[in-house]
Amino acid sequence: MAAQNNPQTCLDPVHEMSRRRVLGVLGGLAGFGSLLNPSVSRALEKKEKQVCLIWLDGGISQYESWHPRPGTRFAGPFRSIPTRVPGVHFSELMQHTARIADKISVIRTMETKDPNHSTGVPRIQRGDPIDRGVLYPYLGSAVSKLLGPADPALPPYIWIKPGNGGFIHREAGFLGARHGALALGDGRPPVHIHRPSGISAENDTARNALRKKANERFRANRGAAEIDAYETSYEMAERLMARKEIFDESTLSQKDKERYGSHPLGRHILQARQLLEAGVRFIKVNSYHWDTHGDNFNMSQRLVPQVDRPFAALVEDLDERGMLDNVLVVVMSEFGRTPNVNSRMGRDHWPDCWSLALAGCGIRQGAIIGETAKDGAWVDGTGYDIGDLFHTIFTVLGIDSKRARYEHKGQKLAIAHDKCKSIREVML
Amino acid sequence: MKAPPLDIRKARVSAEFKHPSQLFRAKFSPCGKTIAAIGVDTAVHLWNIEDKTEKSFQAHKTWVSSICFSPAGNELYTADYHGVIHCWNYLARTGSKPRWSIPAADRNNVRALAVSGNGKFLFSAGDEGVVRTWDAANGKLLKELKGHTECIFSLAVHPDGEALVSGDLLGSIRRWEIPSWEEAGELDARVLHTRKDNFIADVGGVRSLAFSPDGKLLAAGGFRDAKSNAFCPGTPAVLVFDWSKGTSRSELRLKAKSDGPINGLCFLEDSTLAGYGEHLHSATELSFWDPAKQAPVHSLSGQSAYDLDLHPDGRRLLAPVYVSGGTSGNGARKRHREKYSPNETVLRIYDLFAETKKPEPVK
Repeated sequence: MAAQNNPQTCLDPVHEMSRRRVLGVLGGLAGFGSLLNPSVSRALEKKEKQVCLIWLDGGISQYESWHPRPGTRFAGPFRSIPTRVPGVHFSELMQHTARIADKISVIRTMETKDPNHSTGVPRIQRGDPIDRGVLYPYLGSAVSKLLGPADPALPPYIWIKPGNGGFIHREAGFLGARHGALALGDGRPPVHIHRPSGISAENDTARNALRKKANERFRANRGAAEIDAYETSYEMAERLMARKEIFDESTLSQKDKERYGSHPLGRHILQARQLLEAGVRFIKVNSYHWDTHGDNFNMSQRLVPQVDRPFAALVEDLDERGMLDNVLVVVMSEFGRTPNVNSRMGRDHWPDCWSLALAGCGIRQGAIIGETAKDGAWVDGTGYDIGDLFHTIFTVLGIDSKRARYEHKGQKLAIAHDKCKSIREVML
Repeated sequence: MKAPPLDIRKARVSAEFKHPSQLFRAKFSPCGKTIAAIGVDTAVHLWNIEDKTEKSFQAHKTWVSSICFSPAGNELYTADYHGVIHCWNYLARTGSKPRWSIPAADRNNVRALAVSGNGKFLFSAGDEGVVRTWDAANGKLLKELKGHTECIFSLAVHPDGEALVSGDLLGSIRRWEIPSWEEAGELDARVLHTRKDNFIADVGGVRSLAFSPDGKLLAAGGFRDAKSNAFCPGTPAVLVFDWSKGTSRSELRLKAKSDGPINGLCFLEDSTLAGYGEHLHSATELSFWDPAKQAPVHSLSGQSAYDLDLHPDGRRLLAPVYVSGGTSGNGARKRHREKYSPNETVLRIYDLFAETKKPEPVK
């Protein structure tokens, strides 16, 4: 996608493969860096703003989570349980989150436009800005650009996801590869963050110098985006080699592992806590397969608890550590699910009225935002677009979302949809 | 009056009962004059087949998940997603209260109910993976049958009254002796369960169980080879077991394209097996099989259905069939807000015999 903005970018798949391989191999040669004290992260000391975005890909059902609407024609079969906020109920599948509802806000009237995954996911994660002929960055890349790394020794944007890892530069859009995501496939740290014992520090330095020289030569004949991606990859690898303790699972207690859950999402959210503590600016945690067109109720019974437990645990832990004032946690999907139940006892895509949750970093505590129709199907009153959410997120991170601009090829570009605005009701 | 000869090739819809919300279980009463159905609302719905009058019972607080009649007497048992069982007199007037109730028959969803052939025992099973035996007369707990390691979807009582089977998510079918309640073995239906590394939930399970009238065959319905835990698309399948040997004899498939489980299964008196499929937003079929052959010997196209029951006369089938309310599928649908409505059901009775021509009026 980045190639649309830079016709000189090399799209040869061989080079793409080489990039990955080079990241793995040369990353292992970069050597130990500074000896930072890992126990106190720079970000925490400086009260830097940080973000953890928990992305439930496919669309969690609002009826089986944040907005059960018992006794109405579209309600599901699960119990509606009281929360720590008087008068507010969640689905019984959110029993852990119900206990910390007084620490979070839930927006129940997200009203977006795109009912499809293929277009909806990028549209939502880019904030659906006005089309100005450029490819906007995903939220993590945007925050990386606008705030920079919270700790210069760490990558600003880490994406924990099932499947493969690598450096995902396409998320950066027109910002350029430097603001891409370092993806940890299945939560694994990048390969070869230990310098092999057979390579001395001197040899390692010499190899890095050779690599940089080769890159300069390569850059002379090609577009900058790919080279930026390569170099950013190496820089990240070098930085991570110096901070490899942030991937050390042995520092996590058995009790915490049980609290967060042994399933991938639980493990990955616990890892996100570890990376937030270390000082990573923006962490996205992905879980796939929430697109419950079939067997929604059996699946929700098994899926929703997988986010309920670790989300509640994360908010509790951040609060206990005094981090919740500066760390924003967001739980969301690209849309919700239909009020109607289909022929496979599933729920389909529903952008018309759906829910998400926010916590920390100047987000109100115990607030339920938005009025829906009695049956939960439609927004009654104010609906919020994804652009409104982007303004809100930027605002609580201390960014003036109405005035800040990206600069791209001489063009000044709004960082969020010009016609949207922050959701004041959700902010302190 | 002598019943007409069974002829599945002449099967046809003979009666329909429409309902404005989705129903996923439907049964004939033992007297054959009433049908009862439950689904996504809290009511138990009953229709008189002859005069088509409708009545309902209210006591459940959530979706009603399973239903069965006692083969002896006028008891109707219903259970729900919150673990509650109610016993009703199905002949009672609309609005009548349950005779008795069990408030916590399971931690959550009671997914299956069955009654022993003599009407003495009520069996329930669900999310806890425990089969519970109750005194069918008063709801007193008699025995808990433990052995499953996952939730149980289905139950069936052998025609000789001496065995009960329960099928779970993992494809384990367990045999229990009545009335010793000893576990008497396990049948392997694991093909009906799918777990893959990239799934975040197990998919499938033994969704339906049925014995042949002579008790020699047990059929287990579900779907195999699920491709994801999201759409949960798979290949509908029925496994037929030799009951005396406990071994699988054959695997049956639908002919029409379908992607969901076979939730409705029943044997006819000649051991023809009938089953109904599910399909996302498309038609599927009611199929009839020779249990020894994979492909159906006859099929009728129709929208998805979630249950299948044989009338006591052996000549009629009942299925709760999905009807789109016209606004199904993905949003955004704000402009259709006024028209947006729940999907519906038609309870369809299929006659399984040749239609007799009415005599020409005498001129």
